[in-house]
Amino acid sequence: MKAGRAILALAAVAALAGVPWYGSDVLVQFGINTLLLAVLAQGWNVIGGYTGYASFGNSVFYGLGSYGVAIAMVQWELPFAVGLAFGVALAVAFALLLGLPVLRLRGHYFAIATLALAQVMTAIVSNIALAGQNIGLVLPPLNNDPLFYELSLGLLVLATLTVAWLTRSKFGFGLIAIRENEEGAAVMGVNTTLYKVAAFALSGAFSALAGGIHAYWITFLDPESAFDIGLNVKMIIMAVFGGAGTILGPVVGAFSLSAISELLSSEVTSAAGLFFGAVIVAAVVLMPRGLTDLLRRYRKSGWRYFIENIRAHKL
Amino acid sequence: MSRRLLHALPALALVLSAGAAAAPAAPDVVLGASIQLTGPVANTGRYYRDAYQIAVDRINAAGGVKIGGTAHRLALKIYDNQSDVNLSVRQYTQLVTQDKVNLLLGPFASNFALADSAVSEKYKVPMVQGGGASDQIFSRKFKYIFGTLAPASNYFGSTVEMLKALKPPPASVALLYADDSFDVSVAQGTRPLLKAAGLRVAMDERYSTNATDFNSLLSQIKSKRIDAVLVAGHETEILNFVRQAKSLAVAPNMYSFTVGVPSEDFRKALGADADYAFGMTAWLPSAALKDRWFGDAEQFAQAYQAKYGYEPDYHAASGVADVEALVQAMESAGSLDPQKVRDALAKTRFDSLYGPIAFNAHGQIDLPQVVIQIQGDKLAEVYGAKGFITRPKYPMPAWNAR
Amino acid sequence: MNLLAQILVNGILLGGLYAVMAQGLALVWGVLNIVNLAHGAFIMLGAYASWYLYTDLGVDPFLGLPVTAAALFVLGYALQRGLLNLIVRAPMFNTLLITFGLEVVLTYLAQLAFSADFRAINPPYAGNSYALGPVTLPMARLAAFGVALALTLGMWLFLLHSRLGRAIRATAQNLVAARLYGVEPRHLYAVTFGLGLALAGAAGGLYGTVSQINPYIGATLTAKCFAISIIGGLDNPLGVMVGGLFLGIIESLTTLYVGPTFADVASFGILVLVLFLRPSGLLGRAA
Repeated sequence: MKAGRAILALAAVAALAGVPWYGSDVLVQFGINTLLLAVLAQGWNVIGGYTGYASFGNSVFYGLGSYGVAIAMVQWELPFAVGLAFGVALAVAFALLLGLPVLRLRGHYFAIATLALAQVMTAIVSNIALAGQNIGLVLPPLNNDPLFYELSLGLLVLATLTVAWLTRSKFGFGLIAIRENEEGAAVMGVNTTLYKVAAFALSGAFSALAGGIHAYWITFLDPESAFDIGLNVKMIIMAVFGGAGTILGPVVGAFSLSAISELLSSEVTSAAGLFFGAVIVAAVVLMPRGLTDLLRRYRKSGWRYFIENIRAHKL
Repeated sequence: MSRRLLHALPALALVLSAGAAAAPAAPDVVLGASIQLTGPVANTGRYYRDAYQIAVDRINAAGGVKIGGTAHRLALKIYDNQSDVNLSVRQYTQLVTQDKVNLLLGPFASNFALADSAVSEKYKVPMVQGGGASDQIFSRKFKYIFGTLAPASNYFGSTVEMLKALKPPPASVALLYADDSFDVSVAQGTRPLLKAAGLRVAMDERYSTNATDFNSLLSQIKSKRIDAVLVAGHETEILNFVRQAKSLAVAPNMYSFTVGVPSEDFRKALGADADYAFGMTAWLPSAALKDRWFGDAEQFAQAYQAKYGYEPDYHAASGVADVEALVQAMESAGSLDPQKVRDALAKTRFDSLYGPIAFNAHGQIDLPQVVIQIQGDKLAEVYGAKGFITRPKYPMPAWNAR
Repeated sequence: MNLLAQILVNGILLGGLYAVMAQGLALVWGVLNIVNLAHGAFIMLGAYASWYLYTDLGVDPFLGLPVTAAALFVLGYALQRGLLNLIVRAPMFNTLLITFGLEVVLTYLAQLAFSADFRAINPPYAGNSYALGPVTLPMARLAAFGVALALTLGMWLFLLHSRLGRAIRATAQNLVAARLYGVEPRHLYAVTFGLGLALAGAAGGLYGTVSQINPYIGATLTAKCFAISIIGGLDNPLGVMVGGLFLGIIESLTTLYVGPTFADVASFGILVLVLFLRPSGLLGRAA
């Protein structure tokens, strides 16, 4: 059973890895975007899905990763890999410094605080000359989409494997305990502060790597796009839509939502935004526990699944 | 079965003969662009869409573009980037890699042109844009980007000359600029000009793009009794600035804005409050600017107004010039090969309704700006390369004395 | 003129307007625990409603405020009853997500309906000003400030002394107990949300007289309102007013002494500090 699953997973990864050879240019581009979104969703999954702290600040890590690469490559003329490392360092430093005070907040205050941090970062960075202030930075162009694709795929595999490791490690159990009952977990001897900050930093590291790859691929960034809160919401929606707190949920969510959004935007460009908003509204009402939960329970309850969800949550 | 085939034969023959009779038409030359058709900057973005369209229509009506003896029709492929820079970058990538357009036309705004030119450079497809004036776009030694907007650094050039020539010249100048690529470029270029003119800069402030509240800056202008105010910003900011100046009773001796004044909807939005405002333009619809397809700039303005219901300004003229530049380059290169068209563009030299088109080594055009002023309900040319053209209304009276 | 005095006055007038924008958000958040990320979009709708009333029907924007507010009340009631009531007992951040989705939809529909052009509500008296000693008071902002004060006071009195107001506060404290008192929660929730949107609509009408409106102003306004609500505290309309004034003054002073591009750093920086040190806000009850 386990071996069968592993072979299936490997086959899927191999198939995905082969896209630059048998797929069109546009498919590769779509692929890069989707894979990076999946990484972000998976990264968010660590702090939001498993630890239960719904972070709206992952866009800060993403932005820091982007700027790390941009500053390193444009201002200091260092290679891409160094830039990525720099971006991750910035993200982890941020998670450690600000994670401590921010993770003391609960529920919606935590969410709002992380949202506020994203706003502050945008405002601060738009005043920093090294970062190009509000104009941003233009990176040296590199015309090698297959490379970016494979990097993104590799990052997603790494992120997913990390989440899978979480589900069977002491660290992961600790996080789940925090999510279910934080006081109880503390009483049982879990060092909640350490675990939470570690989860935040881990989540941040993945977001930063995704940001760095994206910045180099798109060759351009500015404060507004780097710290875009809409992106944070997107990653949450994808994680939740697919199933937060599961290993493959965010990947499924990212792939499916991206595909539908792409389909719509090539037909009716501006309606893609509208579609996105409508999906969010519908998904939150009808399937708040995500696609994986839907697929599991649908077999049992059929259409009543949606009604049960509503009944459980309505006033 | 054979009977049915028999009946089908005449129809089949007709179809085959029709196919053989029609000569294969030369493929369209497709020009691609990602423009702000919705979103905060759509108000100016539409000038480009309309300009590209009218130029393409007019050129097609005159026979299209002749490449190596064959006439090709022009076609446009336009995407709406919703005023989102990231989306515009993806759309340009799609235009090149998926839609496989032949050549690229630019978006509006320097920050867009800055980002999108990275795409044209990456895929080595020439882009001619008429919406980005920032010097930053052309300082990266890219070979595939060309621009028809006069350099940002010189926008206030003729205005500063005029200030020097006023009697008496202003005792103090305020320089306010938004923090986006274009306006930062303008400020960087204007500072040395002011210094060389011997004018004292009493205020030099950078404000956030899309700012809505200018009360603090205006209060400082009033308190320091500044004579001349130069504002580098975009249309909404300028509208807010003027309105708030009125509501705070701030009336310096003169103020000049990098955008808005040449555009009809700006003047309409402010109504009588627009009076006395200075601006600049590199283009006016004058019959002296002759054009191969439109006759001259005046006829172009009439045709544009008739088709779209609003007056064109320099954005529209610049957009038309982009299309014309590409066509001239294709004809002179005798080919659609991007590399050859690019080389032809670099050497291009011709007159158009926008003025003389020629690109410097970095790909940017160089056109002088004429100082204009809103005088009553007219837009007056006040100061040009040869000095004063009309008398400026200076100094500006207090708001309650108008 | 006295520059510092003028800057302070600017900040106070701005702050009053900020406060009225945030009142609706704070009410809905404090009472219903619904964090409305679409709040700014509703302010935008209110602004457009006022604009149409003024441009097409010639109704003065200040006199037309009750109409705008009523229209948005109806919208809010319907939205809560029809949609938001369905997720009230779901995990908190579901409301964040759903209201974000609403924001996207509303902005898109607004852009479709009103086009991306910038508009302003410009009654003839809008450009006038009063000179009061060393400072100049812009008339439109002064009037907006007056309305803001009136609305804040009205809200405070309403919540404290009226039957409906007390029922709303009771529902916020304890849903079960409120039910025992015969309060119909679905209706009450809808009324509260409607009130929140009515306030947003009125704020939009005021905003339209002092600034340009377009379909995209929602997001920035929401962010500002958040800062004000948290800084001032969610329990009390007076706290929101204090929060608004505080923010307005801080922004004006920062623009003068540091630079215009640092105003956002100041406002959101303070928001972060308040969240870390005293999440219940300057005037709120300690959590």
